[in-house]
Amino acid sequence: MKRETDYGYALKSVYGPEDVAGFDYSRDLNDPGGYPYTRGYYPEGYRSRMWTQRMTAGLGTSVDANKVLKKYRDMGQVGGICVISDRVFSDCIDPDHPLGRREAGVLGWPGCSLLEFEEMMEDIPLTGQSITLLGSSAPSTLRLAYVVALAQKRGIDPSKIHGSVMESPFENYFGQTDVSPFDLNLKLFLDASEYVLRNKIRMRASIISQHFQESGGNSAQALAVNLSMVKEICGRLINERGLDFDTTSLLPYELVSVGTRFFEEIAKMRALRRMYARMAKEEFGAKTEKACQLLMAVHTSGRTMTYQQPLNNIARCAIQTLAGVIGGCSALDNATLDNAHSEPSALAARMSLNTQHIVAYESGAADVVDPLAGSYFVEALTNKVEEEGYKIYNEIQAMGGMVAALKKGFIQEMLSAEAAKKFREIDGKERLVVGVNHLVIPPEDDFEIPIQEVHSQDSETIANRMAEWKPTRDQKLLNATIGQLYADARKDDRFNLMPSIIEAVKAYATVGEVMGVIRKGRGLSYDPFEMIECPFTFE
Amino acid sequence: MLKGKGIKAIVSMIGLDGHTTGGEIVARVLRDAGFEVIYLGATQTPEMILQAAIQEDVDVIGISSHASNYIQIEYLVELLRKNEMSDVPVICGGNIPKHVAKQLKGRGVAEVFPPGSSSADIIGYIVANARGAQRRSA
Repeated sequence: MKRETDYGYALKSVYGPEDVAGFDYSRDLNDPGGYPYTRGYYPEGYRSRMWTQRMTAGLGTSVDANKVLKKYRDMGQVGGICVISDRVFSDCIDPDHPLGRREAGVLGWPGCSLLEFEEMMEDIPLTGQSITLLGSSAPSTLRLAYVVALAQKRGIDPSKIHGSVMESPFENYFGQTDVSPFDLNLKLFLDASEYVLRNKIRMRASIISQHFQESGGNSAQALAVNLSMVKEICGRLINERGLDFDTTSLLPYELVSVGTRFFEEIAKMRALRRMYARMAKEEFGAKTEKACQLLMAVHTSGRTMTYQQPLNNIARCAIQTLAGVIGGCSALDNATLDNAHSEPSALAARMSLNTQHIVAYESGAADVVDPLAGSYFVEALTNKVEEEGYKIYNEIQAMGGMVAALKKGFIQEMLSAEAAKKFREIDGKERLVVGVNHLVIPPEDDFEIPIQEVHSQDSETIANRMAEWKPTRDQKLLNATIGQLYADARKDDRFNLMPSIIEAVKAYATVGEVMGVIRKGRGLSYDPFEMIECPFTFE
Repeated sequence: MLKGKGIKAIVSMIGLDGHTTGGEIVARVLRDAGFEVIYLGATQTPEMILQAAIQEDVDVIGISSHASNYIQIEYLVELLRKNEMSDVPVICGGNIPKHVAKQLKGRGVAEVFPPGSSSADIIGYIVANARGAQRRSA
């Protein structure tokens, strides 16, 4: 059995003072709330701000999602909502598209128009809690437009809303593929980012290492990739959109994937805060303290949830949740015990949310900030993962940054090789996974867990509703806003499409229509799958 | 010892499933074992997979499934049947619940490999069951 970190550093059996030689408290750690923020951003830690305890929702129709969100509120989830989109919305086609018909509402929320968002948010406040809408990068502008449009309809100042609805275009390379081309996703992501920053809407964008790591990347690589992505996006917003770094620093949030290797995960989170703070100050000349603080949320690792003996995942989830909390996070959502089987069942979701509540209120982990600081082992691990992370970061920068490294295929190759290595390690029993390659029991001896049913007839229902609803919209208003969007989409890349997207969304243009027209304006096919024709005519 | 020599396999995601990690790993494992792998990637409709299977004259189709869109897999099996290609087995891997695996097998999917399956299991199954397996072992 390997006794080394996932990035290949061989662990010693005991750590002592010699492992942190040259350690300088104020330089390397400092008190919580002080640069370089290794110990976190708040002097009082969770006493001053408890992490947002949340579960992800979204399956079936928008009305179904609304019911689940209300149920989560009743279960004590009042800090924020988190909804994941289905694959149809993520690929920017409509449920009544031939491919949409088979998959609408299957893997998440079918949020293909403002109507769906209104239904999902019925009787749920937009303010006073964080609004997080997950999906892929391509429909980020749509998710933002829904929030702005619904706020305006409800008479709420959009700057009073906080949360996250945008996803960076890099996720497409990390096993979370959507069908839109990278250049288009990047342009629209910058449009949405510029829009929220200039309008002071407190919407963060996910520029995250979670997908990278869940696809098999290691901790050191995740740090390097995360910093490189943030640097690329902030750099572009500064150079191409005329913003300053302190403003752009309000955009990114990081979603850290936290697995079962407890101490290594805590070290990774501490290292990331320190590395980000240094990058902000030394590379970007950040002026304010806040600009040196990368907002960090945690997702406990879905890839570690085993198919075999799924109840064991409750223990894994608890270890990971505790690591995420000790590592220091602003929000946490859990993988569920049935992750390797299906979408979360009600039982699995409750179990996961309660795991957080138990860590928050019973374990004492929330009482003291960064409790492992000063541990020879944890400080040595923090230094080590940082050192290894910097090696890869410098390599990426030497290539010209994240986009250049992707164009060279460097990142993809690194990820693919690492994912294959992880598989080989388990296949060859170098890493043991209880119930999978160690202490295996016959499948018939396993306990059954409830499985969340997916109803494929829901997809037809969602599709038919959309097909019937589309002609009932105000066609004149729809055509006018779509015409404007088409005209704007033909302008240069730096022309921000957000205002015309919001107007089209308010006229109930769907994601397929909005993205189709933008694609058409840029010389691409209206339908990414080339199965349907553009229903609009332009002069 | 290259067990997969002479066997041609498609590895693909299906429909709108964008989760590529599992498929990429299996493609690599099969290539390392000597299989000829046609890796189609994400956003492949059942029709596209059928076309690739015909054009490339493959012996087995592997679908990596992480998006619960089982209806697409069933549709692929139906398309193969209509095109008289039922001798090309469809095998699936990914997070597919037990009862769905059973249902898929009842509707013509040859085998379903859950997460945690070993490369030996997957390779062994394909070698024994891919189109032309009896001819090869004879």
